[in-house]
Amino acid sequence: MIKVDHISKDFISPKKYPGLRGAVKGLFSSEKVVKTAVDDISFTIDTGEIVGYIGSNGAGKSTTIKMMTGILTPTRGECLVAGIDPSRHRKENAQNIGVVFGQRTQLWWDLPLSESFTILKEIYNVSDENYAERMEFLNRVLELPDFFDRPVRTLSLGQRMRADLGAALLHNPKVLYLDEPTIGLDLVVKDNIRKAIREINEKYQTTVILTTHDIGDIEELCSRIIIIDEGKKIYDGSLNDLKDKYGTKRKVSMEIKQPEKIKKLSLTEILGVKKEECDVEFDKEKNMLCVTFDKHKIQVPQVLTAVMDAVEVKDVQIQETELAEIVKEIYNHGVTA
Amino acid sequence: MRKSLRVYLPFASNELKRQLAYKGAFYLFILVNMFGAFINYYLWMAIYGSSDQAILGGLTRNEMIVYVFMSYVTSSVVSISIASTVSDDVVKGTVAMNLIKPIDYRLSLISQAVGNMIYRFLVPAVFIWTGVEIYKARALGLPIVSIWNILLYLLSCIMSFLIYVLFDFCFGMIAFFTTYIFGMQMIKNALLGFLTGQLIPISFFPEVMQRVFDFLPFSSMVYTPVMIYLGKYSGEKLGFMLCRQAVWIILLYGAGSLIWKKVTKKLVVLGG
Amino acid sequence: MHTCKRYLRLYRVLVTQFLKTIMQSKVDFLMGLFGFFFSQIIGIAFLYLVFQKIPSLQGWTLDQLIFIYGFAQIPRGIDHLFTDNIWMVAWRIVLNGDFDRYMLRPMNIFFQVIAEKLQPDALGELLVGTILVVRSLMKGVVVIDGQHIALFFVSIFAGALIYTSIKLFFAALAFWLKISGPFLQVAYQMSDFAKYPTEIYAKGVRFLITWVIPFAFVAYLPASFFLKEGTSAWMIGIECVISILFWCIAYAVFDRGTHAYESAGN
Repeated sequence: MIKVDHISKDFISPKKYPGLRGAVKGLFSSEKVVKTAVDDISFTIDTGEIVGYIGSNGAGKSTTIKMMTGILTPTRGECLVAGIDPSRHRKENAQNIGVVFGQRTQLWWDLPLSESFTILKEIYNVSDENYAERMEFLNRVLELPDFFDRPVRTLSLGQRMRADLGAALLHNPKVLYLDEPTIGLDLVVKDNIRKAIREINEKYQTTVILTTHDIGDIEELCSRIIIIDEGKKIYDGSLNDLKDKYGTKRKVSMEIKQPEKIKKLSLTEILGVKKEECDVEFDKEKNMLCVTFDKHKIQVPQVLTAVMDAVEVKDVQIQETELAEIVKEIYNHGVTA
Repeated sequence: MRKSLRVYLPFASNELKRQLAYKGAFYLFILVNMFGAFINYYLWMAIYGSSDQAILGGLTRNEMIVYVFMSYVTSSVVSISIASTVSDDVVKGTVAMNLIKPIDYRLSLISQAVGNMIYRFLVPAVFIWTGVEIYKARALGLPIVSIWNILLYLLSCIMSFLIYVLFDFCFGMIAFFTTYIFGMQMIKNALLGFLTGQLIPISFFPEVMQRVFDFLPFSSMVYTPVMIYLGKYSGEKLGFMLCRQAVWIILLYGAGSLIWKKVTKKLVVLGG
Repeated sequence: MHTCKRYLRLYRVLVTQFLKTIMQSKVDFLMGLFGFFFSQIIGIAFLYLVFQKIPSLQGWTLDQLIFIYGFAQIPRGIDHLFTDNIWMVAWRIVLNGDFDRYMLRPMNIFFQVIAEKLQPDALGELLVGTILVVRSLMKGVVVIDGQHIALFFVSIFAGALIYTSIKLFFAALAFWLKISGPFLQVAYQMSDFAKYPTEIYAKGVRFLITWVIPFAFVAYLPASFFLKEGTSAWMIGIECVISILFWCIAYAVFDRGTHAYESAGN
């Protein structure tokens, strides 16, 4: 559905020098600063996929999305969306895509939402029967009737996001781009939005590409993620693979009956590992013993047996590393093989 | 040619970008305003060229050239509009805030306008003024203006400024009745351009209208200082003109206070 | 043909929505209309006063100048009415990234820009223009025959296109400069020169407003065709050629600009 082929985008700005002398110097210099916001990125996305496109601020996420939607023309490389080059055939591409940019609305600010939909129906040339069918679905999934007759500027952020999502889907786009779709929303609303996105994807096989800082969005929605940093693609694969590769830490927490015995317990010795491979913490107030370790080095049952041999255990919890931590790790240190 | 264009265009555009971010826009606006003065200049040249008389409306062709540019200089220094600030404050409701502060709202606006006036005097006006004098001496063969006239002109200008600002304050009060002050501003500017003498010397109006204008503050805003600059008034007439300006300052000050009192009373009643 | 119909329909839909949002205040509407009406009337009053002192201005009578003045208002008003949103492109829409939304819709971008807004204030200019032209017709100042009447409408249309082209060209610079409002302002204000016969200006000015920023072709030059019997109809022909030429240049620059558009937030 989408083929991005060695795409790059440069932004050129005049070089600035500090101070008054700098300003004068700037007059006689034609030096320019080239900032490569997106640097030679390639990927393909199939029909019906939901792909999370993530990276820190200024990593080039929005720039890539803007190239795929036809807003920006790539400096080098090419992309095809449903077989169309968005920058060369902007109008045809626009008919194929739906876009929601979390920060700004596409709707007519002063008009009732219903009027915005009427205009969009005309703009995208949606036939009456298609319109009725779509609206029936959108009304159910996004609960639009609650505020359909209210001017857009009076809507709450959550309502506006639902409205924007509805507006982007009215013409049954093949690809849906979502830029920070849940930003600033509370948990319940976030959940509803995510559910709606999933339903749309299932029912219409809409390909969805979303950028987000919210790891919850990714865990709930995306089967695949692409991570970009400083304009370069640094990871492209399934969420599970990422977790397998980088989320190898396990954390076992146990509530213990006889805290006094803990001091004598030396887990590293029993398990036969080095100190840095197994992190042990004890919370005296809660009587909680937390053991963090690499799952490839030590098995969970080994830890449990070792502890239960020494003390009586009331309760056990096993946690995987949070995705948020993995992503944070990758941003900080890049991908290590 | 093409190569040097390619090399130098970025210079120009970069510098323009930088300038625009700061004062650049302001200078372009001055240029735009100057268009009006140049159109008038050419128009008057043609008018004098088409006339069989050497003096029109009491001015010779050369005096008219000075008049065109000096009326432009004068009005650019004098007409510092505060009406839009007033209407902004009214719309945003900051006027009510100003009521509880221990400062006089109008005085604070006038002080701001004074700063603006000095800036405009220093930046474009003095240069154009000097240009006019050089042109006068070199091309028109007229004597350079005397120090005495300059001083009188500046005094008259300061009074013109006060008349304008006090008038504009009253005008800004319209914002209490309609929020769309843009249309009103346009009417005001057009009307002032005409009645202050900026577009055409008052002496071109029919006698009857000139008598009516004697009882309006507008001719005191631009026409009077420019005529003083040209040395058209002397002795008693000069004294009378300056006194008339002073009287308008007092009258408009009083009118402004009155309207302000009425309007703020309404504001208090409404609880704005 | 089909596309044309669709765009007309879209235009109606978009403009209707816009009018709904502004028609809430009739006072504002009247005020704006009257503002433009009044500021143009002042220009006529100026001419009237001057002509109290002279019989003619370089061979032009007051009635003739009034026709030129009024005729100039009509293309100006038409352009002002329909394409006022171009100003926003020069000042804001490119700078703050709002231009994104035009890029995302399956419609011609220029069409979207102008369909977003109508400027009813322009009716003030159209009103002045029409009154003055009708006055000239009744006074018999202008030549009236089939050819002139037909070319009158052609000329008005071409004149409005020249206005739009000049505005579009300077607004399009915003794609590279981010803000081009001040340049547009300077260029647009040049149109004031064209309200009077261009013969009164120095050679350089005349060249500038005839061939570089061709406002002379909007008003004075075509107006002289209607005023003087025996003036060649080629004048209107040249006006049309110029308007089409400038439109093509402006549109090409605008189109290239949309590809150079950098959006906001980088």
